[in-house]
Amino acid sequence: MANIREVAQKAGVSVATVSRVLNHPETVSERTKKHVLHHMKQMDYSPNNLARGLALNKSYSIALLIPNILNPLYPEVAKGVEDVAHTQGYNLLLCNTEEDAEKEKEYLTLLMNRRVDGCIVTSSLLSVRELNELRRETIPIVMIGRSRKAQGVHCVFTDFKEGGHIATNYLIEIGYRKIAHIKGKTNNRESEDKYQGYLQALSENDIPFDSSLVIQGDNEVEGGYLAAKRLIQNGVNPDAVFAANDLMAMGALDALKTEGIKVPEEIAIIGFDNIKMSSLVEPKLTTIGNPVYKMGLIAARLLFDTLERSEDHFVQEIYLKPKLIVRKSCGHEDRIREIFS
Amino acid sequence: MADLRVNFLGLELSNPVIIGSGPLNRCGLSMKKGIAAGAGAVITETIVNEVRKNVRPRLVKKDNGLQNIRLYSDYTLEEWEKEISLIKKVKSVCIANIMGHTPSEMAYIAGHAEKFGADAVELNSAIPHGEGLEVLSAKPDIVYELVNRVVKTVDIPVMLKLSPNVSNIAALAQAAEKAGASGISAINTVRSILGIDIETGKPLLPTFGGYSGEPIRPIGLAAVATAAQAVNLEISGIGGISSWEHAVEYIMLGAKTVQLQTSVILKGYEQIEKILNGLSAWMDKKGYASIEDFRGKALSKLKSFEEIRVEPYTAVLSNPCPRPDCRLCITGCLYNAIAKSAALEVCVDQNLCSGCGLCLSVCPEGCFSLDWGE
Repeated sequence: MANIREVAQKAGVSVATVSRVLNHPETVSERTKKHVLHHMKQMDYSPNNLARGLALNKSYSIALLIPNILNPLYPEVAKGVEDVAHTQGYNLLLCNTEEDAEKEKEYLTLLMNRRVDGCIVTSSLLSVRELNELRRETIPIVMIGRSRKAQGVHCVFTDFKEGGHIATNYLIEIGYRKIAHIKGKTNNRESEDKYQGYLQALSENDIPFDSSLVIQGDNEVEGGYLAAKRLIQNGVNPDAVFAANDLMAMGALDALKTEGIKVPEEIAIIGFDNIKMSSLVEPKLTTIGNPVYKMGLIAARLLFDTLERSEDHFVQEIYLKPKLIVRKSCGHEDRIREIFS
Repeated sequence: MADLRVNFLGLELSNPVIIGSGPLNRCGLSMKKGIAAGAGAVITETIVNEVRKNVRPRLVKKDNGLQNIRLYSDYTLEEWEKEISLIKKVKSVCIANIMGHTPSEMAYIAGHAEKFGADAVELNSAIPHGEGLEVLSAKPDIVYELVNRVVKTVDIPVMLKLSPNVSNIAALAQAAEKAGASGISAINTVRSILGIDIETGKPLLPTFGGYSGEPIRPIGLAAVATAAQAVNLEISGIGGISSWEHAVEYIMLGAKTVQLQTSVILKGYEQIEKILNGLSAWMDKKGYASIEDFRGKALSKLKSFEEIRVEPYTAVLSNPCPRPDCRLCITGCLYNAIAKSAALEVCVDQNLCSGCGLCLSVCPEGCFSLDWGE
């Protein structure tokens, strides 16, 4: 395979011109660019990315940190990020933080040492202090999950409290009063926000809070299954359940089926996230749409705005609204609502 | 020769006919076709963050109306950079139609459209299918936030496209004005179900869609007249425009420009030239030197119901009926005032006629007029 000098010689231009065609094509005339590219193709030349990266101090790779690779929600984030990164000629490294702040920090340090060009962090557990320490490094970071604008980083987020409120309020509006909540993982801001939304909707509708209706889950199918079993064993008999994510809602659905309790005839279930599987279970799950694919797209765009166009003069905060997706698990009569609300 | 040029949103347009947002403007090349056909400007198909796959089928025509369930552009935000630069290589005005679900998202896309070289942005706040945004963007405070965030983000003019599926379009136009918009476009498509296949019991398209074409023109005219009275913003009229007369109607109600899409889809790009020639010839005949000479002319004659005085009009035959076999006026007379005489001539009983005026538009020969009588 030819090297850059041979291409330059054959095309009758300098090595610097060939390099500019590759790295800064906007500085080369259209005619020269065509001419050089033609010779590159003829000589089967492809640039040595390692050498190119060293010369430009760029690795053409970005990293995405997700909290749980087994939750089908996060591959959707990754797909959004990858769809944009690919068009920009970047590779994507995927890191699974297991919802562990230490692991998240380790990964970020490792990635910086590996000279990735930028990072996107989903549902970060980093404290403000830790984030500030990392920001002393030069690589740009974009956050997905909740607003971090105050900490001076680009972020794309949804409002989990609003989502919890929409879910609970919907159940109340269609006639349910005794609403149980399967909480998300402990020590997790998102879980707490959803729970606060649940409490707010109860209070706004003058429904007294009953602590026996709130069961701790773990964001996994198993946790939802166990939480629903516990609700049944405790004999609290809720008429509806708001699970903090779709996986737990599916676990709860399984537990109720096992116990011979019919959904939605005897009990309603609403989830959170709108993962693809939620429309495939029976009954199809009513849930709150968490626009994660779109968040992935926007996060990557924000990152490339900084990386490729140096648009880091002001911090962008993009808010996406959680949306009620009405299917069958809370009764089917109000199906049309999805279109009009 | 009439001068068709207009200054719209601070942009110099060669004429007021714009190819509005829709599949005709799905890419740079197709927008070039519109400019080559003579359009004064083109508005991109809706640019969004998340491209969704097109459902099939998504378009159906019945009578003169079209229902579509296409959401928006299938080009990504990144791809629009090239498409807009392509159209801006030729002399043209290109407005980017954009949609986001929150003020920050809308502003983000608007910022990109500006960077790509769009001359203005048109905010698509609601479409009647799929997005569940209509109720939200029918609220003036939400519209204010959407528009204001975009106005603060970009330096190019901002226009809000209004949905007809709201109860108070004036309040939304006022919210846009207060938020700093430069213009209003009205109307977006009308929420519709075009029909049902009664053999199978299935709707022609499986969900609610956007209705466009000639049948929605009266709705568009009313929206433009309402907005024109509510705000001092520049207005682009949309809905059912397929002839130069229709364009004149919108302009006479205060619109500065008009947007076409469905009629060009159904009848081809020749529509543009036909409308421009017709408009120009009519202006020459009427002695109008520019669009401004007749813009808003009908608006000043529009009254509130309370202002209308009751005058003693009754129908009279201004010409004798040449078609003794046609009974449309007799059948359509609510007050049994029209009948055939012994000599088989159509005549109006002035004592029974209450001056409703229906016979004037029912008669295919134009035989009737309204008169104060004796």
